[in-house]
Amino acid sequence: MMKAVSVAFDMVTPYGWGTDSCWEGLLSGTSAIRRIERFSTSLMQTDNAATVPDLKPNRDESLVMQMLSPLLKKIAPGIPSDTFVILATTTGEIEFLQRSIINGEHEAIKSRPDHLLNKIMFLSGTCGGGMIVSAACVSSSAAVLRAASMIRNKEHDSILVVACDSVSEFVTAGFSSLMALDRHMAKPFDKNRCGLSLGEAAGFMLLMSEERAVREKRDSLGEIAGWGLTNDANHITGPSKDGSSLSNAVLNAMKSAGISEKEIGCISAHGTGTIYNDSMEMKAIKKIFGNNPVPLYSVKGGTGHTMGAAGLLEIIIGFETLNKKIVPPTVNLRDTDREAEGWVSSEQQSFESPVTLSTNSGFGGVNSALILKKAETIL
Amino acid sequence: MIAVTGIGWLTRKEYGCLFSKINEPHEGFDTLYSYFKDKSYFSCPVKNFSRFDTISKMTCFSAALALKDAGVSYSADQKKDIGIFGANEAGCLESNLNYFQDYIESGRILARGNLFIYTLPSIPLAEASIHFGLCGPLLHLFFNEKRIPSLLSFAGESITGGETPSILAVSAEETDAICFVIKQEDDTSSGKNTGLQNVIAAAGDTYIFDEMINAFKGIV
Repeated sequence: MMKAVSVAFDMVTPYGWGTDSCWEGLLSGTSAIRRIERFSTSLMQTDNAATVPDLKPNRDESLVMQMLSPLLKKIAPGIPSDTFVILATTTGEIEFLQRSIINGEHEAIKSRPDHLLNKIMFLSGTCGGGMIVSAACVSSSAAVLRAASMIRNKEHDSILVVACDSVSEFVTAGFSSLMALDRHMAKPFDKNRCGLSLGEAAGFMLLMSEERAVREKRDSLGEIAGWGLTNDANHITGPSKDGSSLSNAVLNAMKSAGISEKEIGCISAHGTGTIYNDSMEMKAIKKIFGNNPVPLYSVKGGTGHTMGAAGLLEIIIGFETLNKKIVPPTVNLRDTDREAEGWVSSEQQSFESPVTLSTNSGFGGVNSALILKKAETIL
Repeated sequence: MIAVTGIGWLTRKEYGCLFSKINEPHEGFDTLYSYFKDKSYFSCPVKNFSRFDTISKMTCFSAALALKDAGVSYSADQKKDIGIFGANEAGCLESNLNYFQDYIESGRILARGNLFIYTLPSIPLAEASIHFGLCGPLLHLFFNEKRIPSLLSFAGESITGGETPSILAVSAEETDAICFVIKQEDDTSSGKNTGLQNVIAAAGDTYIFDEMINAFKGIV
């Protein structure tokens, strides 16, 4: 069976440029959620979101392209031209649509993600084709699992996954209308959690078949070893109450990786900070792990919920946890919810297993689970 | 082999089920829901159908026809391990415009959640999954070439890869929609199916809906 390995990744998050800044920010236990300054929030549910410093909202270049351009220009020389590109985003260059309606400055059609895909393929210098995967907040974890599946099925041996989303008035007003936002900062798995904080990020991961990575003498940074994707078929905005669909995704992922739950050393949960999501996740996880707690964390108290980019960001942090053998703290956790006691911590923890689990859930009831393996266990 | 066991489609004027040789005119999308209920294409009421955006309605209509064509009964309470993949030309651009225009016209005071949720292109698939009880993988996809053949190939590869035993593959636009029931089929002797590769070949390179339907009629 062909293995799918990551040979390069990088990202920009509200903590700043580069994977290291995000990793160090999370370990510091401080949040990157700050006051929104790019549009008026006076009538929104919150004034706060996790925004990337120094982005310029009114440029001709969209916010997501301001994040992606430097990342892709840096990596482009190392990307084979026959690489297939998968873009994951929920709103992409949505400010073009906003500006078309507010002041007629742009054509709304320029906000379509296929325009963004073409820019990404041009910037990355690829001509191997491309596609867009959209599944709400599961978009980029679904993109990574599709890439791994295509490599395992020998459809492609080099795939670039690119993920991005920005904090916009469009999205913030929408989440405000759903009353889904915490007025201050998201507190995943906390007893007093009351909503999510929006965030923005962009990143990429270059995946190759193990065979091609070895042939091209590329270092492997980790393996996407197994995956599962399911749907609640229950409610458009609310998760299923019992977590059965997410637990099925985890079971499918473990089967796909050929491992048991005993091999999983820690869990990167979706952990949005909404009452229902976090409760559903704990129920799903307990269906698999029973009463044997495994260190579990959410990054979203620090990075905010970066929507279509969340899955990729969390997979990259998942590889960091494996390579550094450290489980990051759950930022903003003060008073652990009873359901999560013994599982989450506001302190960093060490662990030894070379295997970790990363889960995401999104509107429409979509759930993803990925099994990540440490690099040196495969090459 | 991977087989297509049902194909449902509709345009502004007609709808059809390819294997069942149904090809009927209708009086317009506004009355189609009642008409489909009377004809038992929907075996139970679709909750909140009136608030669906157009693409969600088209997705549900075409999925009901395709499942009927494949002889698959359903119930929202009896979930099935069937996935749903969708691909269309404009994604959710129209819903994005409707939502944000409404928000701006209301003085940027409060957005409407019922419009906001349709600003995700995967939501029409989610509406269908809730009604038909589909709990397999759900993805909205955009391919930069050969949309329907690419969607069908992608669905077939997911089944071959063992990710799900069956998938509804939907391409729904504001004016027309088509849905395919795709599954691993051991017995191909019944005649009420055709190989996925035949359907992919028939779809060819055309984006003209009527031409595509005629090409499919030629192979079932």
